[in-house]
Amino acid sequence: MRHFRTLLAHELRTALLSGNTWASAALFLALMGGIHFFALLECSRAPQPWTPVEATFRLFWLPLLCVLPLLTMRSFAEERRSGTLSALLTTPASTAAIVWAKFLAAWLTWAVFWCAFLVFPWIVAARLGTGGDQRLSDPATLFGGLCFVLVSGLLHVALGILCSCLTRSSALAALLTFICLLGLTAIGGAMDSLPIESWSWLGWLREPAAHLRTFGHLQDFAGGILDSRPLVLYVTGMMLSLGLAVLAVEGQE
Amino acid sequence: MSDVAPQPEAAVAAERLTKRYGSLTAIEDLTFSVAPGEVVGFLGPNGAGKSTTMRILSGTMAGTSGCASIWGVSVALNPAEAKRHMAYMPENNPLPEDLRVEEYLRLRARLKDVEAGKVDARVNQVMEDCDLVRRASGRLIGQLSKGFRQRVGIADALLAQPKVVILDEPTIGLDPHQILGIRDLIRSLRGQMAVLISSHILHEVEQVCDKVVIINRGRLVAQGRTDDLRRELLPHAGFTVVTKASQAELAALCTAAEPAATVEDGVATDLGWTRYRVVLPAQSPAREALATTLLSAGLPLREIAEERYGLEDIFLAATRRTPAEGRRS
Repeated sequence: MRHFRTLLAHELRTALLSGNTWASAALFLALMGGIHFFALLECSRAPQPWTPVEATFRLFWLPLLCVLPLLTMRSFAEERRSGTLSALLTTPASTAAIVWAKFLAAWLTWAVFWCAFLVFPWIVAARLGTGGDQRLSDPATLFGGLCFVLVSGLLHVALGILCSCLTRSSALAALLTFICLLGLTAIGGAMDSLPIESWSWLGWLREPAAHLRTFGHLQDFAGGILDSRPLVLYVTGMMLSLGLAVLAVEGQE
Repeated sequence: MSDVAPQPEAAVAAERLTKRYGSLTAIEDLTFSVAPGEVVGFLGPNGAGKSTTMRILSGTMAGTSGCASIWGVSVALNPAEAKRHMAYMPENNPLPEDLRVEEYLRLRARLKDVEAGKVDARVNQVMEDCDLVRRASGRLIGQLSKGFRQRVGIADALLAQPKVVILDEPTIGLDPHQILGIRDLIRSLRGQMAVLISSHILHEVEQVCDKVVIINRGRLVAQGRTDDLRRELLPHAGFTVVTKASQAELAALCTAAEPAATVEDGVATDLGWTRYRVVLPAQSPAREALATTLLSAGLPLREIAEERYGLEDIFLAATRRTPAEGRRS
């Protein structure tokens, strides 16, 4: 545990001082600012079925695909390329502690990015004052959406860490992460639009398949429904990815 | 740290260590040991399997078969405990470029289980020992010269006062002054901790090490003290003789003194003088009296000198012989 704390502090410090983190943060905020601006613009032109915050959160996959791979790509790939991972493994710190510290540092950074996004709805609310439409920055929607991206982020960040373990090239790690996240988002989106309940040929798989509806989870969270099933899904996926990451690091070294 | 635990017979023990990569055998049946407090040179040509062996001993790579133990603890069965007794500086000494020397050493001290209250003292001590305090402690590692980077690697290895230090090519790329500094530092460790050091600079190894282990193509070909290996691997004494006598005259005198003596073809030097090489068995009594024998025979003699065999000659002789001969010895 002591090693984990030491490694986590080191990883957080490294993330804070890394130009890559700041560049990723700038890209994330530019992207989210743009998305939120256009969502506000659309809502101001004509009535929409979504609030601007909901519309922004529904495009969570855009920063997920564009920014998260940049955040996780260097975690192991760069250390393996430079050889510092070998040096780290000569200490009594376990591989699991190293993997978990890197994961948690990346996830906390991802969480900070999303918390920073809340500045935009706050600016809108502050500008409009009490006379504005409260739905523009509804705290419940904001909280629910934030919960969704943080909970699903457990799996997404863990996948990024796993991809970074598989190669010495940061660029390749980013590409692998992008492909995995794209696949995951596409499956989640497809499950939302397909009438799975009516597919009797799926048999007992119908119910588990229905749980893969990523956008449905977002809608539930944003609507204030805190279902434990998505939580189990994302936490299980995270554990599996990190377990594989530990095996990958031990196998390659 | 198990300071009160009894001292094991071997600080480092490799027993029939084998590593295969598919059909390629990197090391095979490697057996050697390093006693506590002993400084041992680990030698072999490029690709002999030195780094592979060191990585297995340090727990960063798993062997295919055999057993590696550090301070009596199996590296494969209890890696965390084995790593507590050991420090390893890999070849080319990878260091994070964006940390300052002092920050890096503090981080490593905490990861190596140095007591929280002693981290500062240990970091200051190793920086003092490795001459890092004045010129490097506050600098970014990425800005350091090769020599200082090597010192940082060695300081890291000494941080937790391990029982065993494994150094893979610690003097590679250093200038003569820096090599002298590292040599003195390693000498100062003798008796305090077991040191296994690989190097291509054989003169350095000879100066610093109590014993050498020589491998070739992944197999052990010789191990022991240099004097013992010299007797074992080079069982003859060579003399350089510069004389005006012919090869036949010289050979007649030498074989009269020692029937097994041989005189190799000479090389003419100047003004009728020729340089010959006379080879006698190392244990021959004629070895002591060769100069007297030649002078008393009235041979025109300008120079006679016994060749001194260094570690380089031992290394060349050992790497020429087969692994089976090495095992028999």
